[in-house]
Amino acid sequence: MRHGIGHRTSDIRHRASEMLFHTWDFLVFFLIVFPVYFFLRRYNGPMNLWLLAASYVFYGWWNPYYLILIAATTTLDWWIGLRMGREGARRKFWLVLTVLSNVGCLAFFKYAGFVTNNLNALLGTSFANPAKDLMTGLGMAYLLPVGISFFTFQSMSYTIDVYRGKIPVERSLLRFATFVSLFPQLVAGPIERASNLLPQLHKAPRITRRHLTDGGSQFLVGLFKKVALADYLALYVDKVYADPGSFQSGALVLATVAFAWQIYFDFSGYTDMARGIGHAMGFRFMQNFDNPYVATGLGDFWSRWHISLSTWFKDYLYFPLGGNRNGKLATYRNMLVTMIVSGVWHGAAWTFVIWGALHAAGRVLTRELEGTSVWRDRVPRLAKQVLVFAFVCFAWIFFRARTLDDAWTVATRMFTTGWGDPQFPLLMAVIVGAVWGYQLLYTSGVRMKALLETAPVRVGLAAAMIVYLSVFAQPSLKAFIYFDF
Amino acid sequence: MEIPAEEDRLVSANGVRLSGRQWAGMGLFVLALYLLAPRLWSRLERLELGTDYRIPYDLSQDYWHFDRMARAAAARYDTLVVGDSVVWGQYVRRDHTLSHYLNVQAGAERFANLGLDGAHPLALTGLLEHYGGGIAGKNVLLHCNPMWLQSPEADLRAWREGIRINHPALLPQHSSEIGAYREECSQRLGTFVEQRVPFHAWTRHLQVAYYNQMSVPAWTLERPYENPFGPITLKLPPPDEGLRHEAVSWTARGIRKQDFAWVDPAASLQWRAFRRVVEILEGRGNRVFVLVGPFNEHLLTEKGREGYLRVKGGIEAWLRERKVPHVVPEVLPSEHYADASHPLSDGYALLARRIFESEAWKVARRE
Repeated sequence: MRHGIGHRTSDIRHRASEMLFHTWDFLVFFLIVFPVYFFLRRYNGPMNLWLLAASYVFYGWWNPYYLILIAATTTLDWWIGLRMGREGARRKFWLVLTVLSNVGCLAFFKYAGFVTNNLNALLGTSFANPAKDLMTGLGMAYLLPVGISFFTFQSMSYTIDVYRGKIPVERSLLRFATFVSLFPQLVAGPIERASNLLPQLHKAPRITRRHLTDGGSQFLVGLFKKVALADYLALYVDKVYADPGSFQSGALVLATVAFAWQIYFDFSGYTDMARGIGHAMGFRFMQNFDNPYVATGLGDFWSRWHISLSTWFKDYLYFPLGGNRNGKLATYRNMLVTMIVSGVWHGAAWTFVIWGALHAAGRVLTRELEGTSVWRDRVPRLAKQVLVFAFVCFAWIFFRARTLDDAWTVATRMFTTGWGDPQFPLLMAVIVGAVWGYQLLYTSGVRMKALLETAPVRVGLAAAMIVYLSVFAQPSLKAFIYFDF
Repeated sequence: MEIPAEEDRLVSANGVRLSGRQWAGMGLFVLALYLLAPRLWSRLERLELGTDYRIPYDLSQDYWHFDRMARAAAARYDTLVVGDSVVWGQYVRRDHTLSHYLNVQAGAERFANLGLDGAHPLALTGLLEHYGGGIAGKNVLLHCNPMWLQSPEADLRAWREGIRINHPALLPQHSSEIGAYREECSQRLGTFVEQRVPFHAWTRHLQVAYYNQMSVPAWTLERPYENPFGPITLKLPPPDEGLRHEAVSWTARGIRKQDFAWVDPAASLQWRAFRRVVEILEGRGNRVFVLVGPFNEHLLTEKGREGYLRVKGGIEAWLRERKVPHVVPEVLPSEHYADASHPLSDGYALLARRIFESEAWKVARRE
């Protein structure tokens, strides 16, 4: 396996034994957890204790050793929160400490290999990956802790908000630990804010029949997105991206478009399931996706894609950098920094840096265009949507490719080879087309939305999803793409 | 539809929301789908058991089809021959199998071939437990192949890198003793459900019988421009007419004498599973007659043969003790074996004659 600049830190891997929402493990787990939770929810302490225990079982199912990590970061941030509350004068010191500890934890586990590989390539040295050394020294496999980027950010947002005086200090370690690790959103978000979730853990969640039915509906949609759509598209994407040099333009274009939909269905499917479970338990998690592929600009796209992360970066990085307050150049610089950091958040590789930089450039470009009357008034909405989608797809090449070389191969062969026979399954095209059509119609106006919300359409769609999942979908234990982050 | 309170509302990017009543309706729909679809399908899809029918090799993993075939065979024949590929006829055409020659001996079509390739006793237990209910009350000629005790790996107690297990979907999923079976908890739970819910076995049947053992999505990847519903012709693959392997003897095949690490029956998982098979069948009112071997003793070294005789003795002792009618035919001539346990056509003919001539068989027939 190759290492070095331009290659992902390939020695980081997961065991495929996470407790995924679409597995039998999780069904059994939830059937045990939910009834007990339902009866305990009126007793705050026992409820939080049960939720914490369940969440730690959920996380430890993958690798129990890393429970130490999540417990340690949780305890430290809770303690720092307390200190901030008591020591007004040294609040900044505690803020620096919390940022350093969380970012340091991320850096150690996620980026150490990337940094050492690049240093070795640049300086001709042979530094070892310290995280790998530590884990193997302890007799454990070197695994990137699942969801580390999510729970560290969630935990860090609490301490920053306490520092800013936006939220009160949480005095209960039990409640704070439940907030950080709440199992529906623990490993791939949405990255909840303490201001939204912590107050919900202070009171008895209200669970009505509506919560259960809406939660079930949301879960069904997420399950369909993941098992029927994302995992289906992955078959084609994986085939082409495994050896892009042997495919022509048609296959490369279609595989890239397919990946755009795969990652959307995969991640938003996970989010739908997480929110559905949370809703059935009486929790309100923030919306994470809002039909991003109908966006008319890159700014619009980022207000619809992974909303919990983009608002996190906006609140805790973009605004502190100055936001758009100091003129155009500073605004664009801040955008560039934010998007590159966002890219690196996704993975330790130059491909992610380029992906972030491309999006920064796209945001600047569409922001400029949106300032012109021609773009605003003359360019049809559908054309803007197609252009934005095309740009996002191009950027996905760098996100999906295994190496910079592969990304370059895809990007160049796409424009320099003939179309060829892409061997793209018609069924795949029909399904993606139908979903895209649904999204366009659903967002096109009030009347169409009302039509799609009539009982026959809702019930018909749910029945079709259930039949497809039951009869045709392939048995899937594929992990979610965002578990890698 | 009532308007939910603000905090009850789930903001979403699609309109698929079902009310409680609609969910209840959906539950009934799913129940009907699960109960009726396999039954309706078995009426639409024709299954014809011609003379010397054996399950098509490509449908070896299709247990829904096995269930259906077993029921059809039970309705047509009075004795069902159950076992692994020795019964199925790995090295012979379907009109040269053990059941064929038993019919020749009987002078009528009375024996049906219910052999399944690779069905070791642990798998056979699952096969009969979950998919063999249709043969309750019938005569069963059950083959016992000592080959499955020839090593700790074949016995499935021991694990080694690269070990391949036949029919994992038939194994008991909660047993920790089957050391060779290492599967994720979720996969085990899924198989546990599939073994008990015919609908899941039916969807697997669709994949195995019509989509080259693939899911529909995987199938479309190989045939991107074909109609994905095209393969559903409602016509099952025909029974195998030809040979799976060349019909030559083990010596012509170049197999050398072997010194197997036989597992003591007292400690063997496979032997325990075989005993369980007998119990299941007897518990369902089947009249069971066991055929032990005959194993190719010519292939064994002296030491290997000693071990085999101990195993065979242990098997015989249990059958005697339990008063299970059985026959342990003497070894066939060397040239009648294709490998360690599979006879060639002449071997099956001779074996059928020996079974019919055995005192145990005559007694069992009279009873």
